[in-house]
Amino acid sequence: MLVLSRQKNEAIMIGDDIEITVVDVRGDKVRIGIVAPRHVTVHRKEIYLAIKEENIRAAAADAESLSQIEDLLKPSAGGPAAEPPRPEPGKPGEKPAK
Amino acid sequence: MKVATTRFGEVSIPDEEIYQFPDGLLGFASVKQYFILKHGGKGPFLWLQAVEPGSLAFVVTDPLVFKPDYRVKVTQEDLDSVRLERLEDAMVFVILVVPKDPRLITANLQGPLLFNPKKRIARQLVLQGEEYTTRYRVFPDTSAAGSVSGHGK
Repeated sequence: MLVLSRQKNEAIMIGDDIEITVVDVRGDKVRIGIVAPRHVTVHRKEIYLAIKEENIRAAAADAESLSQIEDLLKPSAGGPAAEPPRPEPGKPGEKPAK
Repeated sequence: MKVATTRFGEVSIPDEEIYQFPDGLLGFASVKQYFILKHGGKGPFLWLQAVEPGSLAFVVTDPLVFKPDYRVKVTQEDLDSVRLERLEDAMVFVILVVPKDPRLITANLQGPLLFNPKKRIARQLVLQGEEYTTRYRVFPDTSAAGSVSGHGK
């Protein structure tokens, strides 16, 4: 692993288009700013690993078990496609209806 | 297109119903094509079946069925990634882990799937906050699940 020393507000370039900046250092907590192209996904590692692990567990779904429980959950009116969760926009100007 | 699946045998699926997952799912990055099959008749469960390998399938469902206040924070980048113009056109599912005991089913609320049903592009989101867990108990009250009894114990 490459290890570099950086101070607050100093940055690192990875290739031409990924920039990582140390925004703040307080005690044992470091705030990091990341600028990356859209196709590069950036996640906290523990969250990334947790979701990956759940996907792997989910791939072993027990179909019989599912059938047993099927009656318990009724689809919402119109089914899933008709009523997606109304996402809260991350940016203004993307207000969901209602 | 005919797809040989492990769970459902050979399935005939119109090409236009196949979803492209350009990034795959976390842990399954190389699998980029899936389609949706209904599980049984009346329940809310669907299968997200991979075109290849036919052995790979996930149980998914509309999260509002069991968690009506579930909301996904979607960024413009998320929308762009599935070529959605409006949030209202999105479809959101979550992946379930279905163990032998169905009362222990959990839903991954932190990694929902965002679908563009028109353009047939989809993506797994990774929600940044700590609001939602990867192991949300769909049936927190086991006595409720027990009321289907006759099955399991």
